[in-house]
Amino acid sequence: MTRPWTQWVLLAVALAMAAVYLFPLYWMYVTSLKTNSEIFANPPSFWPADPQFAIYPGVWARRSMSTFLWNSTIIAAGVTAVTVILGTGCAYVLARYRNAWVDVGLFCILMLQVLPASVMITPLFVGFNQVGLLGSPRLAVILASAAKAMPFFVVLVRATFMSVPRELEEAALVDGNSRVGAFFTIVLPLARNGILVCAILTFMSAFGEYIYSKSIIQDPRFQPASVGLSGFLGPNSSDWNAIMAYSAIYVTPILAVFVLLQRRIVSGLTSGALK
Amino acid sequence: MDISEAPAVNSRRRGNPVSRILSSIRDGNGFDILLVAAPLVFLVLLAGLPLIYNVLMSFQQVDMFTLGAWIRPFAGFDNYISVISQPEFPLVVRNTIIFVVGSMAGQFVLGFALALFFAQNFPGAATIRGLFLVSWVMPGLVVGAIWSWILAGDFGVLNAILRSLGLIEAAIFWKSDPNFSIWAVTIANIWLGLAFNMLLLSVGLAAIPKELYEAAALDGANAWKRFLTITLPMMRPTIGAVLSLGLIGTLQQFDLFPAITEGGPANSSTVAQYWAWQMSFTLYDFARGATISVMMFVLVLFASILYVRSTRSEVRG
Repeated sequence: MTRPWTQWVLLAVALAMAAVYLFPLYWMYVTSLKTNSEIFANPPSFWPADPQFAIYPGVWARRSMSTFLWNSTIIAAGVTAVTVILGTGCAYVLARYRNAWVDVGLFCILMLQVLPASVMITPLFVGFNQVGLLGSPRLAVILASAAKAMPFFVVLVRATFMSVPRELEEAALVDGNSRVGAFFTIVLPLARNGILVCAILTFMSAFGEYIYSKSIIQDPRFQPASVGLSGFLGPNSSDWNAIMAYSAIYVTPILAVFVLLQRRIVSGLTSGALK
Repeated sequence: MDISEAPAVNSRRRGNPVSRILSSIRDGNGFDILLVAAPLVFLVLLAGLPLIYNVLMSFQQVDMFTLGAWIRPFAGFDNYISVISQPEFPLVVRNTIIFVVGSMAGQFVLGFALALFFAQNFPGAATIRGLFLVSWVMPGLVVGAIWSWILAGDFGVLNAILRSLGLIEAAIFWKSDPNFSIWAVTIANIWLGLAFNMLLLSVGLAAIPKELYEAAALDGANAWKRFLTITLPMMRPTIGAVLSLGLIGTLQQFDLFPAITEGGPANSSTVAQYWAWQMSFTLYDFARGATISVMMFVLVLFASILYVRSTRSEVRG
């Protein structure tokens, strides 16, 4: 039996650890608000003396972030759409049958995903070049990233479908539904939450995608925010308040969505999905 | 198990071949086949073919003029020999080992400790644990940017904190000192992957029946004994999965390198996946880039087999 006061000690320790772990995020926001001279103060100040909120609209305009973020959104939406449309059906079938073929299929799907993106990009680039897809670079990036995101999505959504009781689908079939009808009216609505969580995760990771975009998209008008950030980031960077302001604008929407949906996402992932 | 009999009966009606196929898609096995075939074709085109093409290129002579051709002069093992005899090859191997082993050890040990901590019963445990996961959804390049600033030599906050704690006397130039540059990226990667490790291990911990601990406590086993005799053995499949996913994930990590060190100084923080990309996209040597990737693929294949074996022994739900 744990006594009440040990619980409060544990809570305090947990909060302290979370504070240490999330310090980099805090540092991003604090640095973005500091003046140019305060950034290089020694020792560093942990609270901005004179917060410069004007840096946000400044960086937004100077770095043409509206274009970059719009491209990121298009790419992430495209990747999510392709992944959900193709991956959901695949996950459903792989959950419906249990035999050696399904194991082989799952293994192949996982294997196709294990190679690093920085390594897959070489043949993809050459291949896209040969079929002329480099002319529409955002589409090329969407296709490449969707192939990368699909296996993870299929494995997670398959677990969701496995938790849908089979009897419900069989009852619908006995009642005269076709397979297509039973899938869309019974199985899909029951698995909706799990699919939604996985779709959100796919969107978030595609929103931060870097390597494919960097290698394939040469025209700044079509580049996503990650490539835009890399444009003024390197071992010798010095305008840290601008970099941090850019990063803050970039990640705050993702972080907000994640914190709002945190319970759902975590329970969606942990309820058997990661077995 | 087999699917229910009802649709099979329905689809056995007579008709011409086209309508038979259509009705099978609407109401039979054709539906399943269609659902699997579409993504499979997609994956084969965008992941399978590139993989094969990679292997092919590693045995060919590729330059800017033959980039658009399928058939190129056969080069045998020349590309492999040339990669291995690069002066930076031993350095890249060393860096890759440090990066992979360091990241995996850090992520796993800290992740396991946190998972055990948050498995305790106290108010807000689940919510605070969820907060840790924000690192997991952050874009890699942004994480790299933040750590690049934290680890900066002259004005970085980490040096300031370490100095005020009396742990170091002079500033450590994490990014520009060849002895530390690979560790700079490793630290950032540990931060990035820690939360995911913790999540997976928490799931494994939650699956251990509580009665086991109660019985052991009755038998007088202390906490450390319970950990060694119950937690570790029960967690074996999960640990196997976490470690192999960690290896795959670490070998996939790319975004931190351009953000923090760009592989420098003097290749002291270049790892295999970054080297392969540099070969192809800054030196335009696609053949050698492909060769390095084939070498990595063999390594990753090994990890995946370990992963599949460790998930196999689990009870599948």
